[in-house]
Amino acid sequence: MNIQLNNDNAFIEELESAIQQDGPFSSWKLFQMSYHAAQTTLTPEFTGLTAPKHLPHMEFLPHQLDCARQIIEEMNGRGLLADEVGLGKTIEAGLILKEYMIRGLVKKALILVPASLVNQWVLELSQKFYIPAVSQGKRPVWDQNSIIVSSIDTAKRQPHRDIILEQEYDFILIDEAHKLKNHKTKNYEFVRALKKKYCLLLTATPVQNKLSDIFNLVSILKPGHLGNYEDFTATYGKDRNNLFNDDHLKQLIQKVMVRNRRQDTKVDWTDRKVKTIWITFSEAEQKAYNQLTSITREADTFSSITLTRELCSSREACYLSMKKMLQQEKAISNREAYQEFLKVIEELPHHAKAAKVVELIGDTEEKYIIFTEYRASQLYLQWYLQQHGITSVPYRGGFKRGKKDWMKQLFQNHAQVLIATEAGGEGINLQFCNNMINYDLPWNPMRLEQRIGRIHRFGQQQDVHIYNFAIRNTMEEHVLNLLYEKIHLFERVVGNLDDILAELDIKDVEQEIQTIFRESETEGEAKIKLDNLSSVISLRQDQLQEQEDWNGNRESS
Amino acid sequence: MAIENLHEFLTDYFLANQCELLENDNGKVTIQLTDEMDELIMNRPFYWHYIKQIGQKGQPMKITFITNPDRQNEQGEWVHFGSPRLHQIFRTLTRQGKITRQYEQIVSIQRQPLIPWLVLNIKVSYQGKHKKDELLSYGLQLINGTLVSPMMEKLSLLNLQPAIPDYCYTISPLIHNKSAYQRLIRYVQDYLRTKDYTWAKESWDHLYAEGKLLEHFYKEEQAEEEKQNQLQQALNEIESRFRPRISIDIINGGLFYLTQGSSNVVSSGS
Repeated sequence: MNIQLNNDNAFIEELESAIQQDGPFSSWKLFQMSYHAAQTTLTPEFTGLTAPKHLPHMEFLPHQLDCARQIIEEMNGRGLLADEVGLGKTIEAGLILKEYMIRGLVKKALILVPASLVNQWVLELSQKFYIPAVSQGKRPVWDQNSIIVSSIDTAKRQPHRDIILEQEYDFILIDEAHKLKNHKTKNYEFVRALKKKYCLLLTATPVQNKLSDIFNLVSILKPGHLGNYEDFTATYGKDRNNLFNDDHLKQLIQKVMVRNRRQDTKVDWTDRKVKTIWITFSEAEQKAYNQLTSITREADTFSSITLTRELCSSREACYLSMKKMLQQEKAISNREAYQEFLKVIEELPHHAKAAKVVELIGDTEEKYIIFTEYRASQLYLQWYLQQHGITSVPYRGGFKRGKKDWMKQLFQNHAQVLIATEAGGEGINLQFCNNMINYDLPWNPMRLEQRIGRIHRFGQQQDVHIYNFAIRNTMEEHVLNLLYEKIHLFERVVGNLDDILAELDIKDVEQEIQTIFRESETEGEAKIKLDNLSSVISLRQDQLQEQEDWNGNRESS
Repeated sequence: MAIENLHEFLTDYFLANQCELLENDNGKVTIQLTDEMDELIMNRPFYWHYIKQIGQKGQPMKITFITNPDRQNEQGEWVHFGSPRLHQIFRTLTRQGKITRQYEQIVSIQRQPLIPWLVLNIKVSYQGKHKKDELLSYGLQLINGTLVSPMMEKLSLLNLQPAIPDYCYTISPLIHNKSAYQRLIRYVQDYLRTKDYTWAKESWDHLYAEGKLLEHFYKEEQAEEEKQNQLQQALNEIESRFRPRISIDIINGGLFYLTQGSSNVVSSGS
């Protein structure tokens, strides 16, 4: 059989010259130790994972070990890692990379992740896996043997692009790989063109909209595995449900994809304790709220719904937006009414919600994350908490990477509260905190899940407490009761909700709710429409529950 | 003979490198490094560069290692089989323990001949879809060409020293080092011929199957040069991933001069 054989010819030359020069020779002890070291680092079997033995400080979950083994042994190092959010895709990927490094198969790797996650990847690889990863930095060195973490946006830009495409990588990893679903994008073409041996694509949503999403992802890993594009569409059509219905396709996909779902991990997830905190406006606030509703209904502008929402969050948020609106928009028929209302706001007492926050966390030492939709509310809250002797740090999606890391550290080590305006979907992990206050609820359920995912994830040791604030007799009450409660948002892990929304062609739930509020003449009408929306979603949820016996790779293993 | 007692291995390593153990108790050891060892493992080249520039004597560091997992939270560096420190030490050993020349220790009052042996410790890596390694240890007697394996296990029973003992002389080898080396490598190759190659066949089959898929994938676009290049790159990638290969790497080796008696013992039963 044709097997390439590589010999080591340098050694005998070295030995000869040592003999000629009468040394240097190593001592018998060190010579023996070197031999023992070689024996110790040997991998005597083709199969099995050796990495866990090197990482005694880590506790891997069964599904993570299984996943790593499957990708290495059955998929030969090219696979789609598609676990649900929070099951530890990073851990699985690190385990695979570590195994290849121990076996001497990977020396040069490129890890492409969203810019906001670069530092976190570097940290996790070095702390959890002793993998000396480096972030690309300002003057990146691409052409050496090392493990580099970079954002895809940096990597695909010149002058980096050309240099990177010349390199031969032993290992490529793409995080948030669903962004590659479209083969016509620059990102897709860039990743396809990389010279690579092993390759991992990480995503929680392998099929977002179209069946061709999965075709494109698989074609990066194993071109031809699903045939060419013509074969693929001719055989399986375009309906994404075929991924669940077509047995043959299912089998093919299982050869390149690992997908664990929370329910099949056999892990005791800590509980998610969700509590709605009902708040009643003070008399003055309620009066102002009612007044604002009637003003906005009189002359309907784009921002009218926003203003009402903002009043439910803080005086400041509403005040600032209203001022801005009055300055910028010329044609407001009831301008006086708004002007008048600004004065009403100035007179309002402290916000009922803010007082509730202090009441809730005032006595405890425990850490809390507070999410609000508005920056003005964020500032107000920070000030208000400080007045009550509660330390807090702000967090915004717009912060630079370094500042985000710093804020996280301040929160971990010093402050009791972190006030965030944005989950930053692909953002920081805050498992060390297990209390969250949704100071105002986002109208997009996916964002809520991302928020909760920041703390309710693998690594969380405590039960997680989620407090949802809602003010009675306001639009918040309707959204919470009619939408969120009804689609059981808080009890279940959203997981496939984004799929459902895509399927129902609801591109933006937030937009949808806004429209409902804006276009309804009365509160009653808005309620009915909200109710209809949630009925459609929950009906589809039930259908899927029955239909989806498909559970990724589990059947095959 | 892989490392079984990590603590002993660590202390042996530093003792073999002339470091002093300041404290050593229940899986925790504090070591006073020498200048050389500080430079080698403490990763502070600027300090040593500076010290040498100003012609001063450097202050090598003390370092504490913990191998007892029950004490891992105490002050010191926890060392286990995966810790970067241990692998750093392993890397220094690949150089420090690469080439040796040893003589058997004997007390003799009359002239004694010592017989030369070439010893090679060899790592063989088998790589196809997956990879594994094997460690071989060979000794070749350089007078009559006797081959012994595994050699290290046998040598470990003898007392060896770096200088030739009094009243001893070495016999000149009849087989030159280079041809002895060739002989050993040939022997390894013969050994490799006796192995089971199912793994290589599977890898070839897999390579062939994936190649077919690729050709089909690009079938429609064969005329385009761009696509042709893409196909070529994809073919290269599967080749580097699946093509079976075997590598022979020398871990370490050297010349060993043994008494006639020991040479006989080593040769017997092999």
